[in-house]
This record gives sequence, structure tokens and C-alpha cells, in this order.
Amino acid sequence: MNFETARKRSAVTGGIRNFFNRRGYLEVETPVLSPGLIPESPIEIFETQLRDENLGNRPLYLVPSPEVHMKKLLAAGSGNIFQICKSFRNLEQAGKHHNPEFTMLEWYTVEADYHDSIETTAELFTELAERFRCPHIAPPFRRMSIHEIFREYAGIDLELTASAAQLMEACNRLKLLHTPPAGPVCWEEIYHRVFLTHIEPRLPVDRPLILSDYPRQIPCLARDIPGTPWKERWELYISGIEIANCYSEETDPVKVEQFCMRENARKAALSSVVPDVDRDFLEIFRQGYPKSSGAALGVDRLVMAITGEASIGGVIFFPISDIVGR
Amino acid sequence: MAKAGSLEKGMAILVKGDPYIIVEREFVNPGKGSAFVRTKLKNPTTGQVLRETMKTQDQVEEIVVEDKDCQYLYADDESYHFMDLDTYEQFEVSVKSFEDYRLLMKEGDTYTLVMWENKPLDIKVPYKVVYKVTKAEDAVKGDTVTGATKVVEVETGLTVKVPIFIKEGEKILVNTETKEYVERVNS
Repeated sequence: MNFETARKRSAVTGGIRNFFNRRGYLEVETPVLSPGLIPESPIEIFETQLRDENLGNRPLYLVPSPEVHMKKLLAAGSGNIFQICKSFRNLEQAGKHHNPEFTMLEWYTVEADYHDSIETTAELFTELAERFRCPHIAPPFRRMSIHEIFREYAGIDLELTASAAQLMEACNRLKLLHTPPAGPVCWEEIYHRVFLTHIEPRLPVDRPLILSDYPRQIPCLARDIPGTPWKERWELYISGIEIANCYSEETDPVKVEQFCMRENARKAALSSVVPDVDRDFLEIFRQGYPKSSGAALGVDRLVMAITGEASIGGVIFFPISDIVGR
Repeated sequence: MAKAGSLEKGMAILVKGDPYIIVEREFVNPGKGSAFVRTKLKNPTTGQVLRETMKTQDQVEEIVVEDKDCQYLYADDESYHFMDLDTYEQFEVSVKSFEDYRLLMKEGDTYTLVMWENKPLDIKVPYKVVYKVTKAEDAVKGDTVTGATKVVEVETGLTVKVPIFIKEGEKILVNTETKEYVERVNS
């Protein structure tokens, strides 16, 4: 990253901070090192060691997002909060859009749902688009549902293909997959293969795009839309790149615990780094977790969209590919 | 067998028994999904293009392809005739799979053939090639009907749209992918 881009980047993070401060959100700093996490099976975690005379030696993990601690603050009565901090994800094939260490903006709004978070995001982007003269990130956002895009771009009605077998049958009939996976495969994997091959590359890129209402078969901590197979979750795409993820937060303690246990078991089967599930995290839901919506946005990717940089290395100092020998 | 995550552009794999060359490869990590590699594959014999996304851990059947430098001798109705520059052996490649190339290859020039089990999968023509213009009409001065371009024919029979000042006997640089004029070349 050159210094001109760095100045722009600094103005972007300053602008974000200013935006949330004006709206009365408390800026918080939560630990980047944690003994327990919210398990997410596809994410690889960085591990390190605490060496402390009193607390003993124990593994600590670098957070893949600040969610685990920010939700505890929300449960403790913090009110609306936001944070701009480093997050860490291993084994993500550092490339144009990934660096193992990256910057996340995450904010939580009480008494709000995922629709409200779209409004907030639109207001933030209106300000940034004007200040940095980039109309291509300005609202109005294009809105499409997952149900819609699968029907339009793949010819599949996901409401009729709820099981892996049904989804696979539809893919075979429509000749969507050419290298059929060997052995049993889960619904999620088929969904992603179809989405990544036939849908994501063809999404409209003229305006920022909100893809909303994600299938229940993809586990996450978003509330279900009652009476439907969908969840209250959206993702924001700019120029075909995923830049933000948002939920109406799940508040049911049973569902949260089921999610954590299932993801942890899946992780144990997939990976050698299996952090403990944060016990305090589960507890806050048993005490009554407030209705809220949380959103996580990749700041590096937002800066890329604003500055027109094609690669994440152009918006951060010392990207991993530069500092690690080939 | 190789892991899909180790595939790179230019490598070749078998899909349902047919050879495909990896034309594009990108790593993707959807928000709540595992690591995938998104590819664009081309069957060089049939020209068919496939888009496929695999998990980086999926096993794929990699095939070993070899680049061979060969001199293009000539073409008849059925085949292109090449000479292997290592062994000086002459061999034929069926015109059927590589019809386009007749208009791009110059007799006597060297081309890289991508070989798999002694079968040519692909002929690599350089991205930009110099051709001699063999048929060109002189543009009539003040002829604004056709605009500032005209069509000429080059030594291989390829027709290219060029600026009106290009004359017969001159050499032009052509983009072989788009078949578009790039610039005039002074010999």
C-alpha cells in the first residue's frame, strides 16, 4: 500500500468511527486472544500459548471476529456498540481478497433486526460515497433473496430441494456439476458449489447488492423466519465480492447451544485446532439475551471498493505474501 | 491424483475421462462454507468450456502434459503436418479439433504443442503474431463511406480489419485471440 492509499484508508476508518459515534454507539475494544470461541466449522483458527505463573499454561486462540465478546457486552447492558479491530483466519489461501490478519468493523444494535441494519449500512455508505466520490457504493442497494437467485441463475427452487439427495438430483438433472463428489456430501457443500460456479460470478455488479434470507441448512446464529425455511441473514456484495454479513441475532439458548455443539463436533472432525466453546458465551443466552442485530464488515475490502484497488495487498501495509518468504 | 487446491493454470485434469486444461483458477471462501477452488476448464480437443467449483480437499485426476516445440510444415484437407524439433520426426494433427488455427499458423514457424500420451491436446499460438498482408485494396482518398478501416487478407488467409493506410506487402501485428489489428510493423 502506498501512502496516498494509506491516507484514504485512514479517512475511511475515521469516517466510520465518526458515523457510529454520532449515532451514540459506544466504541469498544474486546480481546483478540481468547481461551474459548464460538465454533465455526469452516474457519481455521490461529492458536498460541499463554504462559502465566498464576494462571498456568494454556492454549489461547486469535479471534476470527469480535462477536464472542461483543455479545457478552450487549448482554451486560452496553447498549449499541461498535468495534474496528483485527480478526484472524488461517488457511484461507491469501490472495486478492484474503489476508490471514484483516480488519473487521462489527456493530450491534439493540431492539433492531436485520432490516434495520440494512438502513444503517445504507446511511453509512451514503456518507462514504459522497465523501470519497464513489457513487458505485452508494444506495439504493439492489435487493435479492437466495431463493430468487437460485431460481433465476441455476433454475433450482431451494424450497423444493430441502435434502441433499433432492438438491443433488436437481443438479444432475440440470447438469450443473461436472465433478460429482466422491462419497456422501452434505446439502451445504452442494449449495456452495452451485452458488460459486453458476450464481456468484453472474450477480449484478452495477450497484451494491444485498443477498438476503439464507437457507436454514447453513448453520449460523441468525434467527429463523418463522414458518419458512429461511433465516434472517443478509450479505452485502460490492462488485461481486462479499463485503459484509448480518443477522437478526438468535436469542434462544437451546438453539445457540445446539449450534455450538454441532459446529464444534464438525470442527473436531475437520481440523487439528479445535478451540473450546466459550462457556460464558452460552450462559448469556440462558440469562435472556436482548433482541438485536449484528453486522460484520470487512474494512479492507471496503477500502478496496472505495480506492479501486484490485488486491487486498494494495490496501494494507505488509500483506502476508510480502512478509513471509516464498 | 492431486488435491483440487493444488491445481494451477496450465495444468490438466480428467473430468469423466476427458482431458481438460485449467484456464482459470481462483480460491474462494464463502462466509459460512469451506475452502473451495473455482475453475474454468477447457477441453482442447472439443473446445468445450466447463465451469466447476471443487473443495480444495477434493481429489482430482491430474494428467501429465508435456510441451513439445514443433515446426509447422503445412496443412492439407485432413491434417496439419508438424515436425518434432527434438526428434525431427514428422507427424500429423487432425484439422478437425483445431480448425481455427489454419488461419493463424505460418508455415515454417515453431509452435508449442501440449501433448498428453502422445496426443496433441492444444497448440499454443503466441498471443500476438506478425503477418504479411497479401491482399489489400488501396483505399480511395476521400472515401468516407467505409470509414477509417478496411479489411485485408494476410499470408495465412486470415482476414483482419485494419486502418486504411495499410498496403499490400506490409507487415501487421495481430492479436491472435481477438483476431484484431494491433499495429503496423516496420521490417
